[in-house]
Amino acid sequence: MINDETLELHKFMQARRTLFCYSGPLSEDLLTQISNPVRQQLSESESDEGVAKRVFGVFVEQAQNIIRYANLRADTGEGVGTIAISVTEDDGFLIEAVNAIDSDKRTALESTLLELSMKDAKELRKMYKERLRSGPPEGSQGAGLGFIEMARRVQRFEFEIADTENGPVFVYRGYVS
Amino acid sequence: MEQAATQRTPLIEINEARCRMVGECYPENIQEFSAPVMSTLRSVVPDAGSFTVDLELFYFNSSSAKFFFDFFEFFEEKAAAGLAVKVNWNYREDDDTMLEAGEDFGEDLESCVFELIEVQAPSEGDAQ
Repeated sequence: MINDETLELHKFMQARRTLFCYSGPLSEDLLTQISNPVRQQLSESESDEGVAKRVFGVFVEQAQNIIRYANLRADTGEGVGTIAISVTEDDGFLIEAVNAIDSDKRTALESTLLELSMKDAKELRKMYKERLRSGPPEGSQGAGLGFIEMARRVQRFEFEIADTENGPVFVYRGYVS
Repeated sequence: MEQAATQRTPLIEINEARCRMVGECYPENIQEFSAPVMSTLRSVVPDAGSFTVDLELFYFNSSSAKFFFDFFEFFEEKAAAGLAVKVNWNYREDDDTMLEAGEDFGEDLESCVFELIEVQAPSEGDAQ
């Protein structure tokens, strides 16, 4: 049997009820191309439009994080990462993403996400508004609002910064139901 | 200014009496999207009389939130200087995300008249 891994890949994705998965160089162009199929998949598996929209919102913000900040870049300059949406056991959604990050940004990212993970919806809403007024923090290409937006749309999220031989890798899991 | 909706940008209509935007807003390049809109507003919105802003957004990303913040700041300054500005923030029923976003933008507007309006069905310009 020469195709063990291929079959395993299929079984793995099916068992995890993965609606969409992409791994590789990501650009705004590609995000445009995949937005409609992602939305279609979401609306087929979720009747509540609000839930589907929240999943899509987290997906867009995290895809743009990879596009802008992934430390591993393709030869053509795009940020390289993995992003996936799967259905959970309770028929909610799991948005997962992995990308290499700059070692210098590790501490800042960790403290930002730790702070966000401890805030409730009301606090996150207030924080988002304050950040909107104050403008982006240094080093941000967006408005610095992306992770706050993601935290507002998920029920909960987990993250980890794993050490690899090529440097730190950011691992994200957000749950929407 | 008249710009049809795209998959990632809303329908935009701007004239000397009204600014209307309907649809999605998560442009590939926020500066490329926002610069012409803001410069059109600066050149066509009058200093006196009245002006209506009609917004019906289905989704916008965090980069676009900054654009809308600047957009409202522009109208707030115009209104403070004497233009009667009415903002209609249309959101679909059950869309808590867009309702909350409208509430948050509206809270900061003192000189503009701001109204949250629940709408039933998708209207024209829906890029989905």
